[in-house]
Amino acid sequence: MNIFQEIWKSIVRRDPLSTDKGKSELVFMNVWLHIHPAKVKKENMKFTHSFYLGFITFFLFIILVTTGIALMAYYRPYPPHAYQDMKDLQFVVFMGPFLRNMHRWAAHGMVICVFLHMCRVFYTGSYKKPRQFNWVIGVFLLLLTLGMSFTGYLMPWDQLAYWAITVGTNIGSYAPIVGGQLRELLLGGHTVGEAALLRFYVLHVALLPAVLILFTIVHFWRVRKDGGLSRPLWKLKKKTPPQLVTIGAPAEVAALQTVPASTTKTYGLMEVVTGKPIFETIAPEEADEEVFSYPYAFVREAVTLMATVTTIMTISLFFNAPLEELANPAKTPNPAKAPWYFLGLQELVSHSALLGGVVIPGLMVVALLLIPYIDRNPSRHLRDRKWALWIFTIFVVANLILIVIGTFFRGPGWALVPPWVHVTGGVE
Amino acid sequence: MERRLQQIFFALSFLALALIIAAGWQADTPKWKDYQKNYHALEAQGEPNAVAKATVIATRPEVHQVMLTGLQRVDRCTTCHLGVEDPTMKDAPEPFTYHAGLGPHVPSKFGCTICHGGQGLATDKDNAHGNVQFWQTPLLPKEYIRASCGRCHKEGDVPGVPELTEGKRLFNTQGCRGCHKLNGVGGSIGPDLTEEGAQHRSPEWLAQHFLTPNAVSAGSAMPNFHFTKEQAKALTYYMLSLTSEDMGSYYSSERSIPGPEYGRQLFAEKNCISCHAIGGEGSKTGPDLLGVVKRHSPEWLDEQLVNPELVYPGSAMPAYDLDPNSRKALLAYMAVATPEDAHLLLANQSRTLKPEEIAIEAGKQDFARFGCVGCHGTELQGGVPNPNAQGGEVPSLLHLSDDYTKDEVVAVIKEGRMPPLDNPKGPTPPLYMPSWKNLLSREDINRIVDYLWSKQQQKKADNW
Repeated sequence: MNIFQEIWKSIVRRDPLSTDKGKSELVFMNVWLHIHPAKVKKENMKFTHSFYLGFITFFLFIILVTTGIALMAYYRPYPPHAYQDMKDLQFVVFMGPFLRNMHRWAAHGMVICVFLHMCRVFYTGSYKKPRQFNWVIGVFLLLLTLGMSFTGYLMPWDQLAYWAITVGTNIGSYAPIVGGQLRELLLGGHTVGEAALLRFYVLHVALLPAVLILFTIVHFWRVRKDGGLSRPLWKLKKKTPPQLVTIGAPAEVAALQTVPASTTKTYGLMEVVTGKPIFETIAPEEADEEVFSYPYAFVREAVTLMATVTTIMTISLFFNAPLEELANPAKTPNPAKAPWYFLGLQELVSHSALLGGVVIPGLMVVALLLIPYIDRNPSRHLRDRKWALWIFTIFVVANLILIVIGTFFRGPGWALVPPWVHVTGGVE
Repeated sequence: MERRLQQIFFALSFLALALIIAAGWQADTPKWKDYQKNYHALEAQGEPNAVAKATVIATRPEVHQVMLTGLQRVDRCTTCHLGVEDPTMKDAPEPFTYHAGLGPHVPSKFGCTICHGGQGLATDKDNAHGNVQFWQTPLLPKEYIRASCGRCHKEGDVPGVPELTEGKRLFNTQGCRGCHKLNGVGGSIGPDLTEEGAQHRSPEWLAQHFLTPNAVSAGSAMPNFHFTKEQAKALTYYMLSLTSEDMGSYYSSERSIPGPEYGRQLFAEKNCISCHAIGGEGSKTGPDLLGVVKRHSPEWLDEQLVNPELVYPGSAMPAYDLDPNSRKALLAYMAVATPEDAHLLLANQSRTLKPEEIAIEAGKQDFARFGCVGCHGTELQGGVPNPNAQGGEVPSLLHLSDDYTKDEVVAVIKEGRMPPLDNPKGPTPPLYMPSWKNLLSREDINRIVDYLWSKQQQKKADNW
């Protein structure tokens, strides 16, 4: 054995990938891949079931971390340097605009994909037992993503950033009793200033990403422990819904199913610790649908990753992230708008500060968190869930309509102005 | 399907690589590199031998920038405008042309944007010239560039820019402050003008605004002052120079340009004439100053002004605390002072006012300085149109004493008031009397009222 082979063997200890043992060892002997099961059910990986929205969201996050770290090398979270650094990125840093564009567009993409992912999970009923808690984690991840995007919005320290954050934090201050103090804690003062920029920076690059990563780990872990990727609706049995067998699931759900120890096999393919091999979520009659994760799942994930990356890159090549004038606290743009995903809220606030800024969004978040516990209907079939579907659809459509109105139909003084009407003298 | 997916993966990977290369290419081929290449080619023409030519042409392209820490600016204009400091580029085409006539304002110390406007940080034409959305100060048109002189040279007169002096004079005498605040002093009917030069307003807009306020700003309360075109231009110059931007100690120390006019003012202020004479006009206590600049070197004279005793032991001349620019201004005046002028200075000095006259004179000054004349007129005649106010115009102040007591007038100045309406259902008149209690002291107001009373015209005897 020559030295190179020896080095290779010291790194890669699995059997060759041509063997089944090698394919499963690739997964469970690799720290990065072991979040996957060694085998997946083909139908669960069907694109039309999940649209890979969770994967896309995760890959967008990877893009954001990568570009974000690169951007940190050029950024000082202190006005007015922050703005000058934006200009330097735009004009003198090699590929600076491309870098910033990728970060910006990936951030918007992540907000959208997290939301779409949530919709997909709802419509396929994938939040139901035993996945209730993972839905709750998911809602927190949605809120964290919004928090990441919102804190990042201030970083360029231009008029857009300054006033969006001013408006956004004002919405928060409508909360009774604690609202004002919360805003002050967040801003480090009564107005958006140096302290606010520093605090938002710390939140944006340290605290929120750390929490987001921790929650993501729990989210992924739970996917595995709650029975793997959810079954597509078309695979659900009509009369007797399959009882998912989950390691660690309460005993009354179902008995732990085991496969009789084979006389020919001398190894287990799964997370065998001691004793007999245990397969999760496998009813014996479904075993034939199973394939090894390598390459079936991995190639799909890899394609999704590259599709996400190339899409963001293409957009970044042709569309520049906005950068307005240097933030000027004395010059309020009219109308001053929050980031687009909060414009639904701002629209509500324009009608009633307390109701629209606190009560409704508060109830919305609580309702989202409690969905799996309120909706006790065990069926995942669309025809059995008319009420739930209607309510959720109204929630989604109402949100979208409010955001569209706030984004495109609101002019100076928050007056109703269609986007095709040009209003002059917006500023002053 | 599996095979197809692998192919798609590889295709997408290549696409990603291609996109990165495209982005790199986009970043690596900015227009300024072409400009630099052309400039080096132009430079190479002047080189004597082939080796030197090759060295010049092979110069690496790089962003040139002037870091102006004192101005908190970074100007990258010289990345393309490469010949601004090279006199041999006098006839080179733009953007390489030499900038003649800069005097002490060398780009390495002042940059470009401080005078020209534009976006110093940018490295492409549209952005650098500031003709883009979200940049407030595009390049100033050629005929207005000199307005920028006033951004640093805030005091005294700026040689070569009479427009600034004239604009400032008009601002202070036409009563603009009655409606507009400048550096915290003035009324609040119109916008604060302290930062007017930093606003995104084109000089053309400003000039038009002074000629016909309503034409460019519909419904503006600003009366038409019937300025001439030259006056409008002068005011525009002055407006463009208004900014509270901190110009840094290096630049602001140079702001008052020593000119003879300022020197004459100092000469009168410090009462030099009480000891010195010019060509026999004045006192004989000190030496006659006619032609003094020819008798001594500027250094000697400067030292003399700083510390007379050191130069002339036993000199009776007191040491005046004059800054370097004031000393230069005095010397500039010495160079042009004539006996006739000294005579005039003497005449002014000898005209003594009675104490009550002094108070009224001060009131008159205040009336002009705080902009009352803008609406009420330099002769208190009023007459500025004010639609839907009683009489349709700002009232004359020549008959105040008929209807008011002094205390009532003091109260109106202090608290301000809305004019009575012609038509109670009509629109609010654009002009009104602002409250002055925060800007004027009690003494100021009393002096102004005394001045007003000194001007009251008696009702004609046959009125009854």
